[in-house]
Amino acid sequence: MTTEAPAPAPAPEAPAAAPFGLGTSPLRTDALPKALGIYPYAADLWAEGLLWGAVLRSPHPHARIRSIDTSAALAVPGVHAVVTAADLPTAAADGERPVLAAEVVRHHGEPLAAVAADHPDTARLAAAAIVVDYEPLEPLVDPEQAFTGPPLHPNGNLLRHLPLRHGDQEVVGEVVVEGLYQVGRQDPAPIGAEAGLAVPRPDGGVELHLSSTDPHGDRDAVAARLGLETDRVRLVVTGVPGATGDRENLSFQVTLALLALRTGRPVKMTLTREESFHAHAARHPALLRYRHHADAQGKLVKVEAQILLDGGAYAEVSAEALAAATAFAVGPYVCPNVAVDAWAVRTNNPPAGRMRGEGALQSCFAHESQLDLLAAQLGLDPLEVRRRNVLATGDTLPTGQAVTCPAPVAALLDAVAEVPLPALPLDEPDTDWLLPGGPGGAGDPAAVRRGIGYAVGMCHMLGAEGTDEVSTATVRVSSGSATVICAAVDAGQGFATLARQIVQSVLGVGEVYVAPVDSDQSIAGPAARGRHTWVSGGAVEKAALMVRHQLLAPIAADFGMSVELLSIADGKITSYDGVLGMPVAEALEGKELWATAQCRPHPTEPLDEAGQGDAFVSIAFCAMRAVVDVDIELGAVRVVDVTVAQDVGRALNPGQIEDRIEAGVAQGIGAALLEDLRTAGGVLLNPSLTGYRLPTALDTPEVRVAALLEERDVVATFGAKAVSAVPAAVAPAAVAAAVRAATGLPVGRLPIQAQDAVVG
Amino acid sequence: MLPTSLDEAVEALGASPAAVPVAGGTDLMEAVNAGRLRPAALLGLGRITELRGWRYEDGGTAVLGAGLTLARMDRPDFAALIPALADAARTAGPPQTRNVGTLGGNIATNAATGDTLPVLAALEAVVTLARAGATREVPVSHLLTGHDPMRAGELLTWVRVPLLHAPQVFLKATGRSGPSRATASVALVLDPARRGVRCAVGAVAPVPLRPLEAEAWVAGCIDWSARGEEGARTIDPAAAAAFGEYVASACVPDGYGADPAAGTAGEGPTAAAVALRRTVAVLARRALGRALK
Repeated sequence: MTTEAPAPAPAPEAPAAAPFGLGTSPLRTDALPKALGIYPYAADLWAEGLLWGAVLRSPHPHARIRSIDTSAALAVPGVHAVVTAADLPTAAADGERPVLAAEVVRHHGEPLAAVAADHPDTARLAAAAIVVDYEPLEPLVDPEQAFTGPPLHPNGNLLRHLPLRHGDQEVVGEVVVEGLYQVGRQDPAPIGAEAGLAVPRPDGGVELHLSSTDPHGDRDAVAARLGLETDRVRLVVTGVPGATGDRENLSFQVTLALLALRTGRPVKMTLTREESFHAHAARHPALLRYRHHADAQGKLVKVEAQILLDGGAYAEVSAEALAAATAFAVGPYVCPNVAVDAWAVRTNNPPAGRMRGEGALQSCFAHESQLDLLAAQLGLDPLEVRRRNVLATGDTLPTGQAVTCPAPVAALLDAVAEVPLPALPLDEPDTDWLLPGGPGGAGDPAAVRRGIGYAVGMCHMLGAEGTDEVSTATVRVSSGSATVICAAVDAGQGFATLARQIVQSVLGVGEVYVAPVDSDQSIAGPAARGRHTWVSGGAVEKAALMVRHQLLAPIAADFGMSVELLSIADGKITSYDGVLGMPVAEALEGKELWATAQCRPHPTEPLDEAGQGDAFVSIAFCAMRAVVDVDIELGAVRVVDVTVAQDVGRALNPGQIEDRIEAGVAQGIGAALLEDLRTAGGVLLNPSLTGYRLPTALDTPEVRVAALLEERDVVATFGAKAVSAVPAAVAPAAVAAAVRAATGLPVGRLPIQAQDAVVG
Repeated sequence: MLPTSLDEAVEALGASPAAVPVAGGTDLMEAVNAGRLRPAALLGLGRITELRGWRYEDGGTAVLGAGLTLARMDRPDFAALIPALADAARTAGPPQTRNVGTLGGNIATNAATGDTLPVLAALEAVVTLARAGATREVPVSHLLTGHDPMRAGELLTWVRVPLLHAPQVFLKATGRSGPSRATASVALVLDPARRGVRCAVGAVAPVPLRPLEAEAWVAGCIDWSARGEEGARTIDPAAAAAFGEYVASACVPDGYGADPAAGTAGEGPTAAAVALRRTVAVLARRALGRALK
């Protein structure tokens, strides 16, 4: 093809002498190019004769479109095409997000039309010249009004209601604590804004170069919306500049492809930061009302909860977030009687979508806050209340599912509690303190209070409720080097590094090349919920084992022994009796072996009308202790220290796990203290990195990993659990608990605002 | 246009008054890149070295170049001269911003959250505006409030700041540890020669506000002659707290943050006003405390 930027090139391999394989921490192959700024992202792509795309977005959160007049835009010199919903072969189904809004706009920034022109500025000017006659409608922005408000879609505003009933509903505890909790709208705010290149193909199809995290899902959706056969759409995955949630949404992809098909020329589109905030989905804002019943010893008797998730205008992925919020409403605790009512509704607010720990984060903040309340009510230590209720393997979730995977929650709590607390800087001069408010800020040591908070939480791994989880991988070995072909996107989670380690471990080959991903490869599914470690990692392992068998079978036959008696270690094939000691490279001489394998974990089932069912393949747990300093007069909070203990099953790459935990904690601190995509009447107020505050190095403390508990999950590939989501889901609860401890205030909303931490 | 001297710049601006002068460009170029601003031409000030430093005048005044970067103002030699301005420059943003952002740019942009602005207001700085063949001096507050705005073809060249040789403080509340825009800021300078306290509150209104009555009142509460153990001037802590409240109620109106359409007049201060007043009061009290320490 005409694209010039090469696919992400593998960096030189580590020296052969370095230890390799599972359990070691090799450097990511893309680490150096990324640090040097030479790693190619979608925004760096270029093609001969390309045009630039720009999108017109709605300034209204809710309006009827009376007419769209594109003539002024078409008259702009240099404009090659202007497309609207009328140019699409199919209209969006009821409740489905349209590629371009046709009759109604349902959120601020919803795309209506797109332009392809020979210069990005021309494209933007032309998009601005499109005349849209809007009839503004009253926006529905309060999720609580969604039930009774006018329907935004023919099938109503209620996307899903999950009424979970478990155990005896009539019991009442000796002690009852109640709380109302609110979670704001956290945006994934990826460092690289959305960008992509579409190239028309001679066969009438289109090739999309995007930082997609689900190449096959995206390809199928693009083909369906454009009325093309799926084999006419090819999706080439470029380097992903950050993905902790959805990236390049469907609307972006289809619009880009449509412009390329319409003009017959390559079209590139890069969104500005402001557009990026409009274009991708954010975390579900939530309202949670909880009532915990306990006996006098603090044992949970019953938990009642009402959870309302604001899915925004389309709420297309809210069902799964709702299932997680409902199933984990009680947290990693044993409670015999549970009643949860959870709703996901549609509003005219910005669309909500996938983000690390979706659903679980919101519930975790609420159930952990409740446990703190319960501890205060009973005069118990917050740690003790948790210890009296912790979940263990064999216990039952409120969904009726037995926890069959390792659930070392008590051990995790003990591990964080054992780590010494950070010292108070009493011996240091005042001027050396890093006070809340930052260096050179207004902090006053006399007004600073320190607080310590604990939280535990859980996240499910893999798709829930009957999602068909499958991945395919091919491993090829020839003359001393191996290649992995798998459509699992390395969105930063480190799959490419892991695939390399797996092949090294199984085949003893040092040099492993992980091929770039495109949709012509077999399906591997989306990069989310820690899937790829398990599903794609499992497929890579199986394929590598098949290659191993092919390699060893003739040798074993020569020596008259079975393959099982041969082992590969340190690049050498040895037999059980030590007679044979052949380097792998020698055995591979002149051979090319390859195998393709699939991994499909055991199926799950949807939650029934009482919220019961084995909906999750496995669950990961995490315990966290946060230490904060709060300036109780100004309400400024600084996180001093975060200590984490996590249930990882097996540490396949300890270095990378720690990186993922740090990343999760940073994002969790953002959700706890800083990040909130605010709206007024449905209109985004802070779609910029100045207004939307991401944590910086000064806001994030040193993250200490107290323990990576390695209790193998027998059904998981290598016994390993996903690691990225659960720290992000638990950190906000831990920070909130610490602020509560420092101030004595209830702290009922995220992010915690300055006035929520002012005492007096 | 990239003039290398002040005369050249002023001449160029006189010839094409529609051109927009740009120094660090931290605010301006963002607006240009986002398409919010489409200037007919840009006049780059980066090569005018004479505006990047400062000089002294009459022994009691520092004349600061408009091209002085925030990073330069944070250095110890400058901080010894005008400490509050150095504090404001230090907290104005991340290093990337401070390395290119300039004093003149901060004034010309006139953002509500411009950190140097309350300091300049408290110091009663005077700005020099140059045009081809003429210059004029305007008090910074007159310029910021639009009382005496910049005219077409004028270039902001110098900022005259009195050297007070007394404690001065700039405090900023952001609600986070990393660099951020202020939710409120307070600049406070002591002027022992005139036995005065001058204070300005930033970020709560489009321009820095001077609580003149509170200044006059607190100046009377300070024992200017007292020399404590280390020559400290003293004030009763209750008076310092009252000063904070005084400043806060003077600078934050009851209706702060209220939706003008909702018409809640006469129902006491809004919740936003109460929260902001508390922040301003704490900042003003702490600023006074630090100045008198």
